[in-house]
Amino acid sequence: MVLPTAISFVCGVILRLALFRSSLPDWLSTKTEVVTPLTSWGRAMEGLALHREGISPYSGDIFHESPLMLKILGFISRFSPNTINLIFVLLDIIQGMILLRIANTFGRHMLLRQATSVKNYHPDAKKNLLRKEDLMDLQFYVTVAFSFNPYSIATCLARSTAVFNNIILLLALYQMLKGNSFLSAVFVALAAYISMYPIILCVPVAVHYFLMSRKGGMHYTDPTAVVSYLQILGVTFVSLAIMLLFSMLFVGSWEFIPSTYGFILGVPDLTPNLGLFWYFFTEMFEHFRTFFICVFQINVVIYTIPLAIRLREHPTFLFYMLLYTIGIFKSYPGYGDVGLMFALLPLWKHVYQYMRNTFVTVCMFLVCTVFAPIQYYLWIYAGSANANFYFAISLAFSTAQILMATDLLFGFLKREFYLHNGDKHKLPDGTDAQIILDS
Amino acid sequence: MASDSANLPGGKITFLLFLALVNFSFTIGIHNDNFSEELYVKPFSSGHVMFHFQFTTVWNVSIDKPESFQHYHLFPKSLGDVLTTYKVKELHLSQTQGLWKHEKWGYPPEDAPPGDELWVWFQPHSGVDQTWADLVNALSGLFCASLNFMDSKSTVQPRWSFRPAGLASEFYSADSRFVRYSTLPREVVCTENLTPWKKLLPCGSKIGLASLLNSVKIYDGFYHSLGVHVRSVCQDTQCLTPATELKQTLTVVYDPTTNKNGKQDWSFQSMFDRTLQSQCPLADTRKIYVDVTTQETFPKFSLSPVPDFVLNQKRSGEERKIAVYQIGNHLFASSLNLKAMYEEKLTFSNSSLPPVYANRFVTGYGLERGGVTCMIYNTMSSNTTVIFMETVPWFLRVYFSSLRIENDGKEIKPYKINFIPAKDRANPYQMELVFRLFANSVTKITYSFERAFLKWTEYPPDANHGFYVSSAVVSTVLPVASQYTATSQSVSLLEESFSDSSSSFFLRLHTETLLVSLPTPDFSMPYNVICLACTVVAIAFGSLHNLTTRDFTASDPSKRKGLVAKLKSFFKKEKESPENKLDSKEEETPSQKDKDNSKSEEKDSKEKDGNSET
Repeated sequence: MVLPTAISFVCGVILRLALFRSSLPDWLSTKTEVVTPLTSWGRAMEGLALHREGISPYSGDIFHESPLMLKILGFISRFSPNTINLIFVLLDIIQGMILLRIANTFGRHMLLRQATSVKNYHPDAKKNLLRKEDLMDLQFYVTVAFSFNPYSIATCLARSTAVFNNIILLLALYQMLKGNSFLSAVFVALAAYISMYPIILCVPVAVHYFLMSRKGGMHYTDPTAVVSYLQILGVTFVSLAIMLLFSMLFVGSWEFIPSTYGFILGVPDLTPNLGLFWYFFTEMFEHFRTFFICVFQINVVIYTIPLAIRLREHPTFLFYMLLYTIGIFKSYPGYGDVGLMFALLPLWKHVYQYMRNTFVTVCMFLVCTVFAPIQYYLWIYAGSANANFYFAISLAFSTAQILMATDLLFGFLKREFYLHNGDKHKLPDGTDAQIILDS
Repeated sequence: MASDSANLPGGKITFLLFLALVNFSFTIGIHNDNFSEELYVKPFSSGHVMFHFQFTTVWNVSIDKPESFQHYHLFPKSLGDVLTTYKVKELHLSQTQGLWKHEKWGYPPEDAPPGDELWVWFQPHSGVDQTWADLVNALSGLFCASLNFMDSKSTVQPRWSFRPAGLASEFYSADSRFVRYSTLPREVVCTENLTPWKKLLPCGSKIGLASLLNSVKIYDGFYHSLGVHVRSVCQDTQCLTPATELKQTLTVVYDPTTNKNGKQDWSFQSMFDRTLQSQCPLADTRKIYVDVTTQETFPKFSLSPVPDFVLNQKRSGEERKIAVYQIGNHLFASSLNLKAMYEEKLTFSNSSLPPVYANRFVTGYGLERGGVTCMIYNTMSSNTTVIFMETVPWFLRVYFSSLRIENDGKEIKPYKINFIPAKDRANPYQMELVFRLFANSVTKITYSFERAFLKWTEYPPDANHGFYVSSAVVSTVLPVASQYTATSQSVSLLEESFSDSSSSFFLRLHTETLLVSLPTPDFSMPYNVICLACTVVAIAFGSLHNLTTRDFTASDPSKRKGLVAKLKSFFKKEKESPENKLDSKEEETPSQKDKDNSKSEEKDSKEKDGNSET
């Protein structure tokens, strides 16, 4: 599978390079589904222009990148437009490379975990076990899912700064799979520094760190376990604090905090996107606004607790699920997050057969992706539709993402059940039993 | 009063002497002010006629000392109290309806943007923002205008464009901490603003020039602008002690050609529906000036009654003929109905353009992005430097990186830039650019913006009407006085500024306001949106809750009951337990509960069906 992987990788790169020559990038960079106020290249350039003029970019409300991104983008923006395009293709190549590594490490990681826990499995579950050959193909599938993923391509072409966030998240996942939990925690802190929500990813990293060092049947609430969690949390928060401190020294004041994290939390910019926040808070009654902002922000992170308890044996999957919920519920979601989800989805290929409504979900994704720019055009330019049309699409898109996430979780749990209990269930009278979720 | 006491008949001398002394001491306190009323009429070659009323009160007390604002005589107490309470050093308010057309009419005596404009210099103190907020509220009541909407969202501190017009130290005038500038471009100016304005006049609106101000006719005009300007001036030529000057102006422009068979004939009767019956006895100067520079050129006109005299004046090289009327000389026989009669119909000709003027407009289409272009024309044969100031509301996100100043396709680098980006719902974009206008050229300033999406409560009642962007302000110093009619900065009266040998004339002109539409949400469905969005969150929460709190188990499909079976068994249970009937109230509650349970069970069973399919 090395050759097809290489070919699809190269094809993906060529596709991006070719599309950069078309008028698509200009069109995409104005699409609110693709870029958000947080990740727009145009806004980043505006911030840099202010910075060069000696005006603090955080004194206005156009620029919301973190000071580190200001530095990086300032470096990139010095090149000619064509070179900048090349840099973005290069960033996508880096993402692709990390994805390849992740796919590779993930295969080994899964086989290793399977080897250790196979003794607990039901004898009938043999045919459900992962095989080495299947996992070898993962690299190919991940590459295809990334190279030809329209969401990733759109993000790259629109020069969305979400790619930096994605690279760091992928690095965190990669380091976690490799077993460098501390390095992974640092990357999580970096991702949290850039876009805040990924801070919850320190939970899967902490669980994974504990699992690696677990001896015997040590329980999750054992003092040793708690110490190991605290170690990871400590590394994450200390590195985050160091980054914030350096940012303060670089910018000279704390005014970037309300402009970046305050902006993410308070949702003052109601530019449409495919998330849930914008229209909800456009139409919100003023005296309930604070309450609902709290509810919606808690909603983003609340899933960490039940998922962490349920998926305590599977920190990798927990990492992915949390990444997914952030992508759905964050205040300014864009195609960058969706692209990352789809690129990592093939890792759970072995779960697909247990999923129930893949067809419906895929259709919803297709319809929303096609209709979103049309409805936006009808509302903003043609004036023949109103905001509700676009809102409907954004709701459907969120629903599709939710269905996909819950379906994947359902499939994953069902597979685990079959592994532990076998897939043949007979009632005492010999008829087939039904597998249901019961409390 | 002093003369009255001097003319008293003899007798009771001691007492009267005492009275005279008291009066005299009062006189010093009271009679240190004077008032003048002036009217300046200027016909334009476009057929329009401008009437500019100017009422000037000069009070020989310093505005810096609030304790001297005690014994009011001619100065309005209502305004004086506001000025001293809020530590005002200089105040300029204009309320305007319509747009002054610089290309056709030259420069107005007081340039004002459409809507309301207020700029104030405060005496140095801390907490200027709070003082400003209190002041606009007080003025809002005083002038019956929505000045209280001049909050931080529309207020800026101009650094170079608005320097004090009156006496101020160099050090103070360079400190923009004490100046606030704000406009209300949407404000509609009408009778309710004229009435409080007239109340500030010492003679009120019943006698004197102010009696011409018939609101029905004034608001019929093409353009009208009310102004209130308070500043410090010198008491005398040595300028050792400051005085306070209150200048109230009213400029109105009519087009008499529309109802006079195409002739530009105008008269008090036809323009104001009134004639001048009286003069204000409190005024020291009561004069009417008519610009008759074009009287002998085509189209010729004659004035009736004949003016007292005609002044041949030169203002920086530009010759002007001003016909002067002493109002008192024309009121003996009858009332004064000043008339101009034209010999021929108006034919439209190209009027000579003013030295510097500007136009501004919105570019782009759709409700997402847009741009603003401002063209500044310099028709002089010399270069000049201008300060361009623009205040843009926060919801038009101005991209500083898109700001370009172009002349003839060549980009111009401004000498100085003062750009303050906006904060959402807090302060506007403020832009001040200082750059050079080349001789006989057009300079184009462009920038682009992105429209923000507002909350549904932030839209005005008529949301699709659009949002106004206040005028840009162009300030410059002209070397010539061509078409320049403003009162010179060093004097108080119009009369004194007709002749002027200086070679620099400060000019401030305002461009058009802009009307920009913003994308609107559907105002009718807040409940629906809240319900729908919460439903989607509930789908996620419910499914994840279900999946994380339950385990898979094997169950017998035949043992699972449908809704009908459950209801049946429920009612069976009811019959089996007759003791429940004893207390009907208690019975109802559990049965209701059971029903709910059965419903949720049914849902579960449906889901189980779905599960079993895989």
